[in-house]
Amino acid sequence: MARNDPTDTGGLFIGRRPGTARVHYADEPDPGTRSRQRTDRMLAVFVLFVETLVCLTLWGPQPAAWLWVGSQVDYHTDSVSLGIVVAFGGMIASLMLTLALLVRLDSIWKVVRRAGGIDQRDGALGRIFMVTAIVAVLVFGFWFLIIEGPGPSLAPQ
Amino acid sequence: MKRLFGRYRQYQQLPPEEVSRELIARRDEQRAREVVFVPELDLARTAWHEPPHPEAVNAATFALRRRMNAYPDPGAREVRELAAARHGVEPAQVAVGHGAAELLQEACAELLTGGGELLVAWPGWRPLPELAQRAGGTAVPVSVDDGIGSLADRVGADTRAVALCSPNDPTGATVARADVRALCERVGERVWVLLDEAFADFLEPGEDSAGLVAELPNLLVFRTFAKAHAMAGFRIGYVLAPAELAERLTPSFSVNAPAQAAAAWALELGDPVVAGRRAAAAHERDRLGRALQGTSLSFAPSAAPFVWLSSDTHDAEAIAAHLRIRRIAVAPGERWGDDRHVRITLRDSAATDRLIAALRELS
Repeated sequence: MARNDPTDTGGLFIGRRPGTARVHYADEPDPGTRSRQRTDRMLAVFVLFVETLVCLTLWGPQPAAWLWVGSQVDYHTDSVSLGIVVAFGGMIASLMLTLALLVRLDSIWKVVRRAGGIDQRDGALGRIFMVTAIVAVLVFGFWFLIIEGPGPSLAPQ
Repeated sequence: MKRLFGRYRQYQQLPPEEVSRELIARRDEQRAREVVFVPELDLARTAWHEPPHPEAVNAATFALRRRMNAYPDPGAREVRELAAARHGVEPAQVAVGHGAAELLQEACAELLTGGGELLVAWPGWRPLPELAQRAGGTAVPVSVDDGIGSLADRVGADTRAVALCSPNDPTGATVARADVRALCERVGERVWVLLDEAFADFLEPGEDSAGLVAELPNLLVFRTFAKAHAMAGFRIGYVLAPAELAERLTPSFSVNAPAQAAAAWALELGDPVVAGRRAAAAHERDRLGRALQGTSLSFAPSAAPFVWLSSDTHDAEAIAAHLRIRRIAVAPGERWGDDRHVRITLRDSAATDRLIAALRELS
């Protein structure tokens, strides 16, 4: 058995350098016409846009919606605990479902990008997740500190 | 709709296990096509067949990762100090170069400028005559069948230097320390003695003559890391010489930093590795010797990881051709002007098994 772990080989990479494997397909794909590839690249942009929107819902709309649902449960059952459980349970459940959906969307994006003639090896989900989280934190921070935060109370009466 | 999805489906990446399965199937198919695959066994080259010790490679890798933007130590101070301490000479008496071969070339260029003779114990290291000619000198092969005293007998007015190997390439014969001393004293201080100890690591400790450089003013000893240290690819070696000459033999541009680091590791910590290789070579040599007892094939005592083999019934070309058919490459003696012998390098146990089987068919 070939040993290609650098710690086994005195720091040398035996064979292919890690991260340089080409993408293997079942058969050589038919690239299609140039206009078709252009259409696929535009389609990939659209998929990425949808992926970004779905990812953004994780950081605002979904938690807000589940907090509203929780408040309704609290109102109708007169149980704060049940309201909290429903709100947080729902948040986690919808988070899992959204992540599963995002993974599928990311796979679709990669495939459509490849169909567009781009050697796309990795998905964009990690980066989108990070960027949308930063955007959400900034937006929330602005709302919390500037619009609804101590700003008005500190203002001269 | 099916056609639309079919376009994208063809761009779906195969999972790794499927890729491996495909590669394994392709390999099996290739093997099945080859009726009997016999890999070539190269017993013609003398570089050690295994990779360098991983720690030597680690030392080189560390040097690579450290600061490759800077020039390496021009004087290879660490290697020189370690080599000097090992052989009991002054660091100024050590010159580190791009392999023993290049240092020999430099020595020829330095000592044979303007012509002059280089007496070469023959058969000896094959490129030596060419190095002498390239330096403007004349190489004179001298048979040392009756001992290296023949070299001293042959010294004339034009002789600038004598060159010999211990253990000798291709015969594996060694030159005793006392004989080296006697040779240096007999030829006089006017004539330099170039002793190539490329295979000296295969001698038992203390059997080499490197330490004599501290006592004899006309002795140069060349050492390499290419053989017992398995570092031929690093191109590094050193020469022990009188300080003034060592300085002149030092390359104008330094040996690269990874090679220096690996050589320093080899000198400081590589002895157990070398001892293991020395024992392995001796073991395979003994096995071959025992296997050839009672046959028409034999070889003289050797201290090197190769043997200078001859046959009572076949000449060198016939032996080499017989082995070539069995995909075993050896160095025929014609290269040294000897049509009776072949030089066969010893490798591991499996290689010796194959060699013995092939040689038995010949005898």
